[in-house]
Amino acid sequence: MFILRFLARRLFQGAIIVFLVSALIFTLLRVVPGDPVRLMAGGMAPEALIEQIATDMGLRDPIWQQFGRYMGGVMQGDLGQSFVRPANGAAVGGASFDDTTRSERAEVLTLIAETAPMTLQLALLAMVFALIIAVPIGVWGGLRPGGWPDRMALYLSSLFVSLPNFWLGIVLALILSVKLQLMPAIGYQGFAYTILPALVLAIEIAPFVIRTLTVSVAGVMRQNFIDIAGVRGLTRNQIVFRHALKNSSVPLLNLLGVQFSMLLGGVLVIEFIFDYPGLGLLTINAVMQRDFPLIQGIAIVTAAAFVLINIAVDLIATAIDPRLEY
Amino acid sequence: MSSMDITSAPPEIARERKVSTRIWQQAFASVEFRIGLIVLTLLIAAALLYPQLSGIDPTKMNIKAKLTPPVFMGEGWTWAHPLGTDQLGRDMLVRALVGLRYSLLIGVSTTVLMLLVGALIGLFAGYFGGRIDTVLMRLTDAQLSIPMIILAITILGVSRPTIPSIILVLGLAGWPVYARVMRSTVMAERKKEYVRGAMVLGATDWRIMFTLLLPLVLPPMAFVAVLDIARMMIFESVLGFLGLGVQPPTPTFGNIISDGRKYLMNAWWIATMPGVFLVLVLTSINLMGASLERARNAIYGGA
Repeated sequence: MFILRFLARRLFQGAIIVFLVSALIFTLLRVVPGDPVRLMAGGMAPEALIEQIATDMGLRDPIWQQFGRYMGGVMQGDLGQSFVRPANGAAVGGASFDDTTRSERAEVLTLIAETAPMTLQLALLAMVFALIIAVPIGVWGGLRPGGWPDRMALYLSSLFVSLPNFWLGIVLALILSVKLQLMPAIGYQGFAYTILPALVLAIEIAPFVIRTLTVSVAGVMRQNFIDIAGVRGLTRNQIVFRHALKNSSVPLLNLLGVQFSMLLGGVLVIEFIFDYPGLGLLTINAVMQRDFPLIQGIAIVTAAAFVLINIAVDLIATAIDPRLEY
Repeated sequence: MSSMDITSAPPEIARERKVSTRIWQQAFASVEFRIGLIVLTLLIAAALLYPQLSGIDPTKMNIKAKLTPPVFMGEGWTWAHPLGTDQLGRDMLVRALVGLRYSLLIGVSTTVLMLLVGALIGLFAGYFGGRIDTVLMRLTDAQLSIPMIILAITILGVSRPTIPSIILVLGLAGWPVYARVMRSTVMAERKKEYVRGAMVLGATDWRIMFTLLLPLVLPPMAFVAVLDIARMMIFESVLGFLGLGVQPPTPTFGNIISDGRKYLMNAWWIATMPGVFLVLVLTSINLMGASLERARNAIYGGA
């Protein structure tokens, strides 16, 4: 079966990528300075105790041994436990060294599973907004290559890529929620809190969608079958929406695969400014607290998501356009 | 000597030089390129000259003049501080312009670094193929699948950020895209007559790679890299905003805006005004980059 062979090959390649990502992050975290045990135990803990905790946790073993142990766990779906976060909830940061609750630390997998849906909600809404902003601009630009709609598309996308997300977030929060009081900005107490972050993320994504659409719509409109469609008596709108947009959907899908990591980068910063409790905020906090297992877990999960999304993108693209082969 | 013949032989190189000039000329003919160039030149001139000419120290505090609004923007503005002052009475215009210097310095050096690293890796992978290619490309895939920003904040978050370390981290995080483009171009080029000819004449791999292929393939990539300067400047400001960029008291767009966020309610200009400068610079670079890219695509015919 073609499809099974395709899946097997891509999943195997994906597994190698995820393995390499794990190795890269794991090594990186251990060669850079900064002792996480010092942070976990608190500044007042005696040196001997820190050494003892580190040895108990296996942090003084050679890197390859630690990595082997870690990957063994990952194979069984165990991403380890957070260094600093307790299992019971919000409290974070350097606990006192004689804290008895330290044994009950949160599972990395649970932390990721709790926050991922929030980020997914944000990303999906952002994509909807991005399409609403970008499709009219991009399609119009593509229909008149060299004309002023095309120029407009170029100017607008150049402007949109030039808006740093954290600055745009602050400006929009100032205008839309402080001055005009249209929507809430900081924290999360309901769906309305997703709108503003999603809008900022959408403006970050929009230029890529505009560019892809302008190029592909312009390309499709040069094809013979578009002229023939006119002869067949289809109206201009029917031609644009049935033929041009359908043929642009494959490059758009590919864009999603390629720009996935950019999307995640945007999510990270935007969740941080708006204090939106998703995967991005979790990542930033994990880095600030040197929570190695959590950083590793997030890197592995995002790499796996990247691989799976790219496989899905290729499968869907083949379904839309059977001429494509992978 | 046969090697002399090799350097003068390929007509492609002569044609390529002309292509580069044609790309410049065509881009320069467009309105957006000129607007971008003018705005960028003015802002760079201001960044280089104004802090010196005005004699204002960007880190000098003046508590009596703290939280002065920008001109025409509220009570107590003064021409002495056209963009107002921050919570410590430091002049915002000078701070923004000094921030622009660091932003440009880091943006340009990072882009050059990642272009070179990516080009070299792509050159080796594309030229030698086989196992070297497989290993290098898997590495590239792996790195492309980690969001660059996670990589950057992980490294800078656990070590102490300095200007060289920021350039290094951003540059090393950004090379994979260039490696891919370089690899596919080199793979296509090395099958061509002139490369085979050079091989037959006994040119070493080294010579073919660095005197024939690199000068041919690098310039078209460099045009696209203009857009990456803007991208890297944004990254630099994001890092500064997260506290992982150049450290205070040195002003950068990121740390100014991050500071200003705390005073958003009573002094909105601290967080927003420097951003306007950044957006102006980025928009002009992006406009120039976009028209260069268009010119390149028009001349190379798509792709």
